[in-house]
Amino acid sequence: MTDFKKIEENLKKEAKRLLESGEVTVVLAYGKGFDEKHPMPFAAKSVADVDNIVFNEYCNYNMARYLVRYPQGTKIAIAVKAADSRAVIQLIQEEKIKKENLVLLGIPVIGMKNPKTDEVIDSKTTCGMHNPVLYDVLLGEEVHGQKIVSPYDVLAEYEAMDKDARWQFWKDQFDKCIRCYACRKACPMCYCDPCFIDQNKPKWADKAPQSPGNIMYHLTRFHHLAGRCIDCGECSRACPVDIPLYLFHKKVAKECEEMFNQVSGMSIEDKPVLVNFRVEDSDKILE
Amino acid sequence: MSDNNPYIPMPVQIAKITNEVDTNDIKTFRFTFLNKEDEEKFKYTPGQFGELSIYGKGESPIGIASSPTELGYVEFTVQRAGTIVPGLVTAALHDLDEGAQIGLRGPLGNSWPIEFLENKNIVVVGGGFAFTTLRSLINYMLYKDNRKRFGEITVVYGARNPGLLLYKDELAEWEKRDDIKTIITVDKGNETWKGREGFVPAVCKDTAPSPKDAVAVICGPPIMIKFTLPVFFELGFSKENILTSLEMRMKCGIGKCGRCNVGSQYVCKDGPVFSLAELDQLPRDF
Amino acid sequence: MLKKTAIEKISQLAAVLMEKGTLLAPVKEVAGHNFAEINDPQKVDLNFYNTIISPKGAFFPPKEDFIKYKIGKTITEAEQIKVDSKPVFLFGVRPCDVKSFSIMDIHFNAAGIIDPYWSQRRKATTIFGYAYDLNQPVDAADFYNSLGIYAADPEGSDIFMVKKDKDLLLKGITPKGEELLAQLNTLVDAGKDDEKYYEETLKKGKEYKTRFLCIDQDVIAKKLEAVFNNNDFWTKVSSACLSCGACTFVCPNCYCFDICDDTIFGKGTRRRVWDACMFTDFTLEASGHNPRTQVYQRLRQKINHKYSYHVKKYGVISCVGCGRCTRSCPVNIDIYSIVEEALKL
Repeated sequence: MTDFKKIEENLKKEAKRLLESGEVTVVLAYGKGFDEKHPMPFAAKSVADVDNIVFNEYCNYNMARYLVRYPQGTKIAIAVKAADSRAVIQLIQEEKIKKENLVLLGIPVIGMKNPKTDEVIDSKTTCGMHNPVLYDVLLGEEVHGQKIVSPYDVLAEYEAMDKDARWQFWKDQFDKCIRCYACRKACPMCYCDPCFIDQNKPKWADKAPQSPGNIMYHLTRFHHLAGRCIDCGECSRACPVDIPLYLFHKKVAKECEEMFNQVSGMSIEDKPVLVNFRVEDSDKILE
Repeated sequence: MSDNNPYIPMPVQIAKITNEVDTNDIKTFRFTFLNKEDEEKFKYTPGQFGELSIYGKGESPIGIASSPTELGYVEFTVQRAGTIVPGLVTAALHDLDEGAQIGLRGPLGNSWPIEFLENKNIVVVGGGFAFTTLRSLINYMLYKDNRKRFGEITVVYGARNPGLLLYKDELAEWEKRDDIKTIITVDKGNETWKGREGFVPAVCKDTAPSPKDAVAVICGPPIMIKFTLPVFFELGFSKENILTSLEMRMKCGIGKCGRCNVGSQYVCKDGPVFSLAELDQLPRDF
Repeated sequence: MLKKTAIEKISQLAAVLMEKGTLLAPVKEVAGHNFAEINDPQKVDLNFYNTIISPKGAFFPPKEDFIKYKIGKTITEAEQIKVDSKPVFLFGVRPCDVKSFSIMDIHFNAAGIIDPYWSQRRKATTIFGYAYDLNQPVDAADFYNSLGIYAADPEGSDIFMVKKDKDLLLKGITPKGEELLAQLNTLVDAGKDDEKYYEETLKKGKEYKTRFLCIDQDVIAKKLEAVFNNNDFWTKVSSACLSCGACTFVCPNCYCFDICDDTIFGKGTRRRVWDACMFTDFTLEASGHNPRTQVYQRLRQKINHKYSYHVKKYGVISCVGCGRCTRSCPVNIDIYSIVEEALKL
């Protein structure tokens, strides 16, 4: 099992070292919240801030979400779990950030929990990986020997539905949406400014929280994340009404993978799959 | 407003459109009311605004440019917004012809404090497009039954160039009158411009209106306000005697939608007119 | 008058209320409970702590249609949409939420122009308050005690309900409530021991402790005014904020709305929809000027509005400590902690 205390110690130690030496100006990690079960995303900017850093099984946040807030060139250290590191890689691919400005503090972890349900977060709602794909410093021991579960296994029930059933399923889900936009704000890949839904000319969808505006918002967002979503599951955890957004993202990711044989956020050498044309690319997308 | 529902606009018709400037993006719209009772209910004071309402596009809060002494219609001078944020309502309005019908809600907001201004010397300072509710105030004060209620009236009005001055015919008329001192200036003139050149703050300094029993009413772009205020402080105007009108994004116009607050004040309902002394009490959040 | 019913027979009571009007009551959803219009009396579920989204939607729905129109037709042909005047029963509202209605009343129903939609919906509604279950643990996010509200306060309810083991006790509070209670024939008269239990619960409600911070509203209002320009403080407390609208949409006291024209296939509706001061474009003017471009400015606006501006304008804090914003925040920002820290400055 993951030694959370050990990782916290290492995280503090690294943060202190990096801030003290001036190697970075900010460390994106996790800080104390109003109680232990509710830690918060935290940006340590001085050695004194380091005391506030915590790490426990509720530190789910994908800190990559905050990277684009800093001006280009800011030296940043960022704590990354598996999916978080994939978000960083994807952002590097999309040229939003540069690797040379980053120090990745890798956190291999197993047994993260959703504070709302106390359930272990696994491949059902995320990519299910345990070790960061890319890191400069590793803050704990890599997790090995776990049964490999495909992140797409959870789709079985969804894929068994026919077209009408799927449509009904999403319609029911989107009816719940209150349009608080927590999903897009929690998403590390949602950085458009302005987001299409906020534009008034053209106005893409109703402002009212109802169909068809809700469907328009979510379907457009889903498709805008095709080949880009790194399956961290933050959108679903952020949703106050628990819409299982991860299902659609996983489905799109799966199709993308099958079509282009590339998984998002796995290598900084890759090019974003829908931006990059390769002669050998499948024509299936045009069908 | 129908059934006294403050969110439902009353129908008005465009009676006249005047193109105000060379750039064709500022027009004055004269509206007449379709229902007589709406006209009677629309009792306003200079400085107030209305929500121009076009179904399918939305609503825009615009200051009233006519004076309540002009009967039978109400006028709004509207700039086509959209260089940075697409302005749907103003664009749609600019595309309309005389005879078209739109909606109007109002009058909204407080106003220039007429009672406070009475028996005082009034210095009106305007810059560019922000002259609309000042024009309402000036025409109100110049109205034959009202003129004696106010002391000396001085108007300093500036625009970037002669083509951008609003209400050119009226400015010419005011210049002919001897009960109002009208000083028009442009940042830069052209071949035909025979008037004054210079920025509004500098012109105010030259004109040097006396602060004695006087109130300054100032509207203009932020940069003009920034440099004009020190001039008036130096002349000895107190913050209580300098008035201005604030802008914030608005929706409901009646202090309900929570959008236009500056501190505890809703600009749409408690404003838009504030004295500098009042603004000092508010957080810098505008 | 004190009446009672077995909780397992709650659907019978629901059915009677549905005959008399519209019933809004908690129903179980995947994530938790929410108020919903009841079509099937079996759906009413009182086995909840508090709903995810506040019941403010009963009077201030997420969307309120003003006018329907057709594109290309004249303005006089537009059709004004009236609020349904059918009686509404808002069933199972926790005391802190009941309190929120009276705070919202000041804004919508008393100050300046009366909001016709809020006012009509409020008039048509009978409120069934519902004491927290004192045997359940308090949620860590709650802090309604700090706002002077207790777990079994009947104030503001028309009828107040207390759970007694397997029974539900219903007490008429207002004449409107008393009158309705007398008509509900599925209820039976409560006994002496029920009376005693009811009274004891109200008393014991004071002992059911949430987080508590001694908040003097004038002190906090002045304090927040004084620290308005303390950018370090606001930047620090907002550094995690995602600037989404979850907190404001679940809040019982957030009332900001947008008025928009939604059009489709030549038909349009002018309506108001919930809006949030946390959104970037909330204050974006047509000129391109935006006084609140930064996250810290928006969070500052939200907290100051509740704890400072609202006190100055309406004489009361616009928060009831229901804990929803904290529970719904994707990054666990806690308004209580921010107020607490501000007071220490």
